[in-house]
Parts: sequence; C-alpha cells; structure tokens
Amino acid sequence: MSQQNQHQPNLKWLDDPQVFRVNALPAHSDHCWYRSSQEAAAQQSSFRKSLNGHWQFNYAKDPRQISQNFAEVTFDSSNWDDIQVPGLIEFAGYHKFHYINTLYPWEGHHFRRPAFTTASKQDAQGQFSQAPDNPVGQYRKHFHVPVAWQNQTVRVRFEGVQTAMYLWLNGHFLGYAEDSFSPHEFDLTPYLAKDDNVLAVAVFNASTASYLEDQDMFRFFGIFRDVTLLAQPQVHLEDISLRPVPSSDLQSGTLTIQAQTVGTLAGVTAAVAVKDATGKSLWQTVTSLDQIQSGILAQTTFQQIRLWSNDEPYLYQLQITLHDATGHVLEVIPMVFGFRRIEINSNKVMLLNGQRLIIKGVNRHEWNATSGRVITSANMDQDIAIMKANNINAVRTSHYPNHLTWYDRCDQQGIYVMAENNLESHGTWQKLGVVEPSDNVPGNLSQWQAAVLDRAQNNYQWLKNHTSILWWSLGNESYAGTDIAAMETYYKQQDPSRLVHYEGVFHRPEFKNRISDLESRMYASPDEIETYLQNNPSKPFILCEYMHSMGNSVGGLQNYMILLTKYPMFQGGFIWDFIDQAIAVKDEISGQTVFRYGGDFDDRPSDYAFSGDGLLFADRTEKPAMQEVRYYYGKF
Amino acid sequence: MANSKPLQIIYGDGTLGVTGPNCHYIFNYSRGGLESLVYAGKEWLYREPKPTFWRASTDNDRGNGFPQKASQWLGAELFSVVKEIALQVNQKPISLPLAPANNRYTAQEFAEEIQISFTYETPTVPTTQVTVTYTVRSTGQLHVQAHYHGNRQLPELPRFGLEFVMPTLATGFKYAGLSGETYPDRMAGGVSGTYQIQGLPVTPYLVPQDNGIHMASHWLQISRQSTKDNSDLNRIPFQLKFSQGQKPFAFSALPYTALELENASHQEDLPLPRRTVVTILGAVRGVGGIDSWGADVAPAYRIPGDQDIIFDFNIAGV
Repeated sequence: MSQQNQHQPNLKWLDDPQVFRVNALPAHSDHCWYRSSQEAAAQQSSFRKSLNGHWQFNYAKDPRQISQNFAEVTFDSSNWDDIQVPGLIEFAGYHKFHYINTLYPWEGHHFRRPAFTTASKQDAQGQFSQAPDNPVGQYRKHFHVPVAWQNQTVRVRFEGVQTAMYLWLNGHFLGYAEDSFSPHEFDLTPYLAKDDNVLAVAVFNASTASYLEDQDMFRFFGIFRDVTLLAQPQVHLEDISLRPVPSSDLQSGTLTIQAQTVGTLAGVTAAVAVKDATGKSLWQTVTSLDQIQSGILAQTTFQQIRLWSNDEPYLYQLQITLHDATGHVLEVIPMVFGFRRIEINSNKVMLLNGQRLIIKGVNRHEWNATSGRVITSANMDQDIAIMKANNINAVRTSHYPNHLTWYDRCDQQGIYVMAENNLESHGTWQKLGVVEPSDNVPGNLSQWQAAVLDRAQNNYQWLKNHTSILWWSLGNESYAGTDIAAMETYYKQQDPSRLVHYEGVFHRPEFKNRISDLESRMYASPDEIETYLQNNPSKPFILCEYMHSMGNSVGGLQNYMILLTKYPMFQGGFIWDFIDQAIAVKDEISGQTVFRYGGDFDDRPSDYAFSGDGLLFADRTEKPAMQEVRYYYGKF
Repeated sequence: MANSKPLQIIYGDGTLGVTGPNCHYIFNYSRGGLESLVYAGKEWLYREPKPTFWRASTDNDRGNGFPQKASQWLGAELFSVVKEIALQVNQKPISLPLAPANNRYTAQEFAEEIQISFTYETPTVPTTQVTVTYTVRSTGQLHVQAHYHGNRQLPELPRFGLEFVMPTLATGFKYAGLSGETYPDRMAGGVSGTYQIQGLPVTPYLVPQDNGIHMASHWLQISRQSTKDNSDLNRIPFQLKFSQGQKPFAFSALPYTALELENASHQEDLPLPRRTVVTILGAVRGVGGIDSWGADVAPAYRIPGDQDIIFDFNIAGV
C-alpha cells in the first residue's frame, strides 16, 4: 500500500509487495517553476538546487551489515568513502557487474518465489530484508538550503534510485520508495535545519520490486539519476494537466489547463499566456485562484492550429504566472504543448492527425558504456540526432520511464514515444523458453496490484503533458492478468487522448478485449504477420520489437517493409534495439579500451553478449546495418 | 598483339613459372595452387589462395543452429586438398610436365596463354569438388574462375569463394560497389559509388563474427606499403586490383581469416593484425534478423548445397 505518516522505517517492507511507497509525495506533472520570467527564459530556477556531486558512501554487504544510526546527524562517517551521485554502485567498484536476461539475478545462488504465489507471505519473510545477497548502499550528504528559502516548503526529488530506498533527514525518517525509474519526492520541511542538514539514504539492491524489474539488462543499483532540492512559493501549482484537443476537422483546437494548487490561495491570480512557436502572442487570460483548489484553470479555443508531427513538431508555448494579492510574482511556469490526434478509425487503422501512422521505431535502453544507466545530456542529444538522421520516427522507452528531459527532446524533435511502465516480470512466467506462469506476478494477485498501479500512476502523472507520447505501454513481458488489466483501466480513465499498448496479452487471449488497443507482437516473422492480417484482425498490428540487431544482423528488413504497402493495418514497429549494452573497460593485457559483456566480470549465470543488440555499438558509433534502416525508414 | 610471345614459361620440377609484362606467377604442383603472384617485383601471396566455405558464425547463425548444420564446411575450409591439376598451353591441354617430361623444355619457352586448374576435394560426406582455374593472358592479367560442384546431400553453405592471404597488412583499399558493409539481405541501403577505405577495418561486433562483406562490387584495389622481403626497403605504396568477370562479386578485406574471427569471443582476443585476408566471393549467405534465437535467413538468401556455383574475376597489378 501507499503509506503516509509512517515515522519509523521497517526493513520488512522489502519483503512485502504491498508496501512500495511510504510518505512519498504524490506523483505530479514534470513542469518546472521559476521565481521570475527572466529565470524561466534562462532555465535557471532559484527554487531548485542540485544535490548531485560527492556524497559519503558506505557499502554494506547485506542488510545485517548496515552501519546502524548512520542517519543521525552525530554519526561519525569520517571513515566512509566518497561516491559520485548520480552513479551506480557497480561502476564505483563496490559490487560486481552482472548481466542476465530473463532469469532473476539470484538464479543459481538463492531460491526465491514471489510472496503470495507459491510462497506465502510468511514464507517470503526475510526474503530480502535478511538476505545475504542483498547489498546496501548507504549514502550521506550534507547540504545547506539557500537563505532565500527560509520559511518555504522544500522537497527533495530523487529521479532514479534502484531498487528500494529509505530516506532520512537529520536523523528523522522521511520515507521509502520503489519503482526505480520514476522520480520520488519527499517533503523535507518539518525537519529542515537552518544551517547544516544531513540527508541519509539506504539503497537496497533487491526487494519485492525486483520481481517487477526483471528487464533484460545489466542489473545495477544505486542513485543513478539527479537528486534535487526544490523549494516552492507560498502558492504553487503542484500539478498541471494540459489537454490540447484538435477539433474533429483538425482545423481548430481547444486547450484545457487543469491545475492542482497548494498554499493559501486568497487573492492569488494566475496569468496564462499562449504564444505560437515564433513567440507571437495568441491568447492571454487571468484567473483568480480563490476558488480553484483543483480543477480547470483556463480553457480556450484556437481557430487555426498547426498540428504537431514528426515532419513538423510544432509546439505552442504556454506560460503561467502566479501573482499574490499585491501583484508580486510567486512563480512562473513555462510549458509547451502541441495539437495532435492519435486514434483508431472504423477500418481499424491507427491514424495520427487523420493520416495512417507508420511507426519507424526503435527500442531504446538508457545506456552509457562508461557509466551504465547514468546518461548525459550529450548522450540524449546524440541519440535524438542519430534517430533524426536515420529516419527513425518513434522510440519505445524499453522498458521503463526515461530521464525526464528525454521526453522534452522528443516533443521538440517530433519523435513519437511509446511511454512504457517500469514493469517486466519475465522470470516469473517463462522458464527455459516455455510459458510456465505458476509463480507469475503481478498476474491476478490482489497483493501485487497496487504496486503495479502505482507504477502506472507514476508514469502517467509525471509524463502526461508530453505531446510526443502517443501510447502508454503497460510494461514488457509480464504475462497478463487482472492486475495488468487494471493498469489499462487506469490509463483509459485518466487519458482518453492516447492509446494503450501491451504485448504480453498475446499469451492470454482471453484478456484481449480488456488489454491493449493494438495487436502487438515481438519478433513475429513476416509470414506470421500476414496470417494475422488476413484473418479478420480485430486491432491494428504493430511490432513492439523486431529485427533483433544482435551482432551482424538486420537482414531481411525488406520483408517487413513490403507488408506496409500491402496491409493498412500493419503499422510498423520498433527495432530491437538502439544501442549495445556493453561496458567499456581497460583491457588488463593490452591497456586498450575494450567492450565487455555479461560473464566478463565473473558474473554467473549470465546471458553473455545477448545485451549487444543495438543499431549502435556501445560507444554510439553506428553499426553497418544502420544504412539499411535509414534507407527503408526513409521510404515510408 | 605486337609481342607474339608475351608470356615466358618456366617448366620447373616442382612448379610452373609464368613471366608476363611486369608480372610473375608460380603455380606449385605439390602444394597445389598459386604460390606466388608478383607484380612490379612485389609478392602478393603469403600462402596459396584456397576455396573458402566457412564464415565466422554470426550471432544469428549461432541462434538458429546454422553452424551445426553447416559444420562440414568448417572441415572443408581447413582441410580441402588438391586432387588434380590440369594444364593448358595456348588453350591446348597438355599432361602435367613433371620430370623427366619437362627435360624437353628450354630456358626460352613462351606462350600466349597459360591455363592451370586445381581441383580440390572437400572432406565432406559425401565429398565434392571445387575447381579453381587460373588463366594467365598475354597481357599478364590473371583470370580466375571457381566452380563448386553441388551435391544434394550436402548442407547449405556459409559462403563460397576464394581466400587470398597477403604477406603484410594493407594500408587500405578502394572499391567500386555499395557503401558500407552489405549482405544479400541487407544491401538495399547501400549506395553505389567508389569508396576509399583506410586500413582493414573490422566491424567491432561485441563477439567477433563474419563482417566486412561488400556485395555487388565491380572492382577492388588493395594497397600495401610493406613486404616481407628483407632486401626491400622501399615504402612506396603498391596496388593489386581485382575486377569483376561476368558478374559483380562480393568481397571482404580484413586482417583475419574466418577461423581467427570464429575463435575470438571479444575483439581484444583477436591477434595483432599482421596480414591481409581478401576473400572474393561468388555466394554469400544473408545475415537474417527476425530474431537471434532460431529464425533462419529467408530462403532466397541461403546458399543451397545442391547447386553448382561458378563465378569468375580478374587480377592485375596497377
């Protein structure tokens, strides 16, 4: 369950799938807020302070070896090490790299079954909290808050921590979070000291969340994305939902802005201004916030709109400025939005802006060969540039929410995004290539449903304002049952403007009317696709993964591309995948930088080079196959 | 032809030597094959060219079990032997002039054209033959034809062509054909043109595997600077040109043999590059791509074992 007002941490949460967030602030839109329009223009917010950099660190081999009282202000951490945040504990040299595909990382070392499957909750007690194979990264960070933040509400945001984290401020327990790839925020205000503060984090390698994060990738842990302090003005828009909806003829469009406010609203007004992409003013209005705790802040219709697409990613600029009763600016929130419509027509063809959509896509893991899943802005810029240069128009965020700014880039560059939840439980239902779901999670288990719904909510709430997202994807290779159906229901309730995708229902046809707007397969042969399309298909067909680009591959792309010309309901797919996941190391013998893969770190069992399936090598140079992709993706 | 006797023939006891304009060839009877190919005084062969059947398994090959099915061709790659040598002088077959039959010749023997063919037997079950025919024309140009004799009991081939191992590392190569690395099922994106490549790049797939194939090539020019000749200190670049016969060919120019690539599990396992391995191929298997755990290459891009493969090309100094 999602818990609030817990004042004492409990290690047993690691063993209980029903506990996945404690005292964490509700997920909300990813908008930035600034103290002035000058700050907004410069994208430098004085409400924001990075805590990236050097942190103190202690590696505990297992939960029993944790330095007790390490969260206390008075704790002597002078003999601790220094670690870079963001960074992965493996890359810092404390823990062995390990690559494995479907099998859980404890395969061959420890027997485990998910609680409430073939193991009872009692059986599962201590499964992670007392496990000898569950190392813990203990972090401490001293910080000061800026003087200007006195009396303001201050939160801390962790954008990515794998796999389970406990957090303290100045010795006071703040909260707990799972879902490694979504941001988590905690309110610091009650315990914030005027001068020196100590944030303490315990990051556990494994918890019940591990069952849901069985993605085919190197298995890492640590604080791997930014950590930021965020202050807020006396009145603040905590959540904003933009709904730009084109008219049925796609000529005009209505923008609805919903907001959730916090603070004392009396006398506060919100000035809303919309400009076109060139900066020309299109609409302005001022709304009094007196009555609006949560609801529609403003709404208008634009008579002549320009649509957003891959060809022309036209974005409108929105700015919301809150003023207090005396007219002082409280906060300035710049956002962008685009008008576009994704739908399935009566012929069961998926349309974007009224035109048949062809997905010329690629799956992308976040990867940097020298830092793993810690990626730089330059990496992201380069990835987008490579996509654009090679006629790739879509990306599936396989298999977890990406860095927040990735979606900004996709908005700006017109890359269609399949926004996938952080969910893959492959190892609980497919054993030695055979479907064997006797310990599948989440399945139909009520005890696991809230955890996966939380993941759906995190994904939706943080990312909902991104024009580039056309599809919500419920996860990857997790089989199907009522829990995943509940995720679908959540998205449908929240967001009628997008489609929902899930491939795993292929294995549970009885759920097909409840899960996924699209018929999605992975690695189907051209013949199998034709068989589907020639037999009264009920949904448009896409390949969420195809053309496995492992080593010297990507032959026969033509046989898929010709189907695009034969069947309107065949709408393309996402190549597997974008970049080889290999680690750059200095060769012990030659001293040269070389690329290593699973099994090269004494990590066993392993799936070895199976994570090297990119159109790019791990150093981001293009594989020879890219010219074939560029050619065919350029033809459609 | 202005010169009525352009090729000088040396009917040796163990070899047949052929001297042409600015070129010299030695065909070895006991080793079986072209032992020496010299243009402008520079040796181009380290060992005799030989038929090549095997390619270093790709990830997709491994995934779909192709190496197991095709493993006889690995034996053929390594252990095919010459069983028969046939010689024609001026297009007339003559029996191989081994001693003492060659006593009848002099130091001044000339011909317009020499054709010598080597028939290899593969250690497959059943065996089959590959005939490689070298024709030295009066211009000094060498024409090469390779003929694989199909047998319906033999599995699909990984590839078919000739492998030339050159004594030193090339500085680069130039070719007319398609851009980039191409395979039969991945060549639509290749752009026709003339390309200059520095060095002998190995595509750095995580696990070394077949790479560097260039389909539909019209000619290939290899450039070297160094030789193994201890008396040759000249470092002026020199070239050898392969050009298409009846049809364009596929080639790769790498510092490694298929077996060296096959043996390595990482790029850093590959030996220090020190030679040039050029394969001129008449048939290349596609790479596939549907998946890497079972899907085969589409039928059109496989090389059936039961059909003959004949292709030809020319070699000349530049």
